[in-house]
Amino acid sequence: MTLSRRHFLRYGTAGLAAVAIPGLAACTSSTATTGSTDAGTTALWYWGDGLSDKVVDAAKTQFASQTTLEPTKVGGDFKQKLTTTLSSRQFVPAITGIKGEDMANFRANADQFADLNEYGFKDLSSQYLEWKVKQATTADGKVIGFPIDIGPTGMFYREDVFAKAGLPTDPAAVSAQLTSWDAFYDAAVAAKAKVPGTFLVINAGAIFNLVIGQGTKRFIDENNTFIGDQPHVKAAWDLAVKAHTLGISAKIEDGSADWTAGITKGTLPSIIGAAWAGIDIRNNAADTSGKWRVASAPGGPGNFGGSFLAITKQAANPQLAFDIVKWILSPENAANNFTDASLFPASPATYTSAALTTGDPFFGGQKTIDVFGPAAQKIPIAYEAAADAAVSAPYFNQLGNVEQGQNADEAWAAAIKEAKQIGERQGVK
Amino acid sequence: MTTRARALRSAWPQYLAISPFYLLFTVFLLGPTLFSLYLAFHRWDGIGEMQYVGLDQFRYLIDDQTFWLSVRNTLIIWVLSTVPMLFLALVLAALLNNTKRLVGFYRVALFIPNITSVVAVAIVFGALFATNSGLVNITLQGIGLPGVPWLTDSWAIKIVIAMLMTWQWTGYNALIYLAGMQSIPSELYEAAKIDGAGPVRAFFSVTVPLLRPIILFTVVVSTITGMQSFTEPQVLFGNNSAVNANSGGPGQAGLTMVLYFYRTAFGQNDYGYGAAIAWAVFLIVMVFTILNWRLVQRRAD
Repeated sequence: MTLSRRHFLRYGTAGLAAVAIPGLAACTSSTATTGSTDAGTTALWYWGDGLSDKVVDAAKTQFASQTTLEPTKVGGDFKQKLTTTLSSRQFVPAITGIKGEDMANFRANADQFADLNEYGFKDLSSQYLEWKVKQATTADGKVIGFPIDIGPTGMFYREDVFAKAGLPTDPAAVSAQLTSWDAFYDAAVAAKAKVPGTFLVINAGAIFNLVIGQGTKRFIDENNTFIGDQPHVKAAWDLAVKAHTLGISAKIEDGSADWTAGITKGTLPSIIGAAWAGIDIRNNAADTSGKWRVASAPGGPGNFGGSFLAITKQAANPQLAFDIVKWILSPENAANNFTDASLFPASPATYTSAALTTGDPFFGGQKTIDVFGPAAQKIPIAYEAAADAAVSAPYFNQLGNVEQGQNADEAWAAAIKEAKQIGERQGVK
Repeated sequence: MTTRARALRSAWPQYLAISPFYLLFTVFLLGPTLFSLYLAFHRWDGIGEMQYVGLDQFRYLIDDQTFWLSVRNTLIIWVLSTVPMLFLALVLAALLNNTKRLVGFYRVALFIPNITSVVAVAIVFGALFATNSGLVNITLQGIGLPGVPWLTDSWAIKIVIAMLMTWQWTGYNALIYLAGMQSIPSELYEAAKIDGAGPVRAFFSVTVPLLRPIILFTVVVSTITGMQSFTEPQVLFGNNSAVNANSGGPGQAGLTMVLYFYRTAFGQNDYGYGAAIAWAVFLIVMVFTILNWRLVQRRAD
């Protein structure tokens, strides 16, 4: 048969129709015919290093007789992909990771997730840090997230630079001397005077973020009222501005090329951040191995990030899904999750396990759990509304402006005005 | 059966053959566009119930200082990038048009920046222009000049973004100009030569007027792409968005309209307001496209 133009069109279009029509049918069907509702499989979504791959593999074998666990590492903007999938109600995984910073938003849509208390979390709840569970608890008491890990804050510092600057070098001594922000600022001024070009503060916004995280109130309260103009925020703002006026802020953006250069060369000898920030330092300044130590964060502990596993409403067998989650995040596996993926456990009982109590050569053999363990248990409980991150953005932008020379009082007024506007847009009173 | 129906029936393979474009267009462009218009009148966090808010989102937009800042930033960056870009492209094309050797090599070389990933280029630019550790400042200091805070100063940020865009699009525009120049009949140049015109005079009196439709095309395309710049500031200043709300760098000096839209919709889960911003961007781009069109057209008359 010769392939004439007409034949080509006929066959071509017929082939196209064969492909397109079932495809369209799948798009328009309203019943959720997805992998997760299939009784035989259970889909699990997480991100790279969100769980230990070894533990996930072990879970596959562990539950092989009951279901086929299908883990998927979702790359890119995880929150965005999960939002889109939940919104389309198609191909929704039975189990999904939720990052701590996105929890407030997903908690506002708790009807998309199973209440873990119904499947047995109630009895386990006390094993996990109270503030962590609270993050995933709705106003009416549902728990939608099983704690994976947390991000208790501490101060990473360069022992060699601290020695040159005349500051204490031993972690216990540093923790004891730099307990308050005032003491930290005094040390920063002294260090800069002794070794010019040394900055203990990255930028004013980082201080603001830390101080807010150390408090029990943020920008919006439980009644959905804007409280970003109240004294607790102003105090954090003033402290951040003070870092600028004292000249101890390097005005460098976190993660920028200058940040990497600073931690490598020692011009940024202290990074106050979550336990997982140690990985960033390790990856970006490998040559400085052995020179870093960890002390308590000035002003008290806070939390950055961390994550949860949630079970969606589309899960075919939520009880089985819960059992899988419970197994993956059991105290026995928490140590593996810590060793393989640096996930700092949310269960204090595991802090004494061998995996967490070995010394780390990057930190000169220091057992960092001695700092982060007690910090984790002292993190204040603060209510974080879904709009909290959006409302807080103007404060950071305005602090950036202050560092570029703007008047601090004008910047404060502008920040509040903008924050209120954003809040109003998102339905905050 | 009517003749029309019969015609339709006999021609179905042809209709079906052209249908993929229309199907894809409807599903991936028309549908989302109409949905975003619908969204602009609602408040929606991406998952929960949509709430009708009427014109509220547009009212917020008019009062939103950050939005107007992003409009100003976009316009400045657009001018800073488009003017040198099109000028350089024209010069490069004229040079290339008179080149006899290695023509293929030059063409490929000019086009390479355009097919290089913007993300990769932005990361390289970020490293080159870093204040304390960047190659540019180290070089400046090496020859005795003071360093420039490229990624913190409000104007320097815009210049870096504009340079990035210029670097990426100059070659592309040069090749389009070159194609236009090669369609200009050589008799015109010969006539100009006989009338005593040198190469510069010939360029301005023959090449530029005859290239006008091509220039119009590049101006319109540059307006549309330049006003939607997003990747450059997003990659230069977008690291660690959870802790760093400074979208667009210090003072939000690199916050473009589309970046603001992206941050609002996908960062802050405010899809209704995001849609309203997207429509405002559409209107602004349209106004400037029409303005440019008329400006270049009128000069041609």
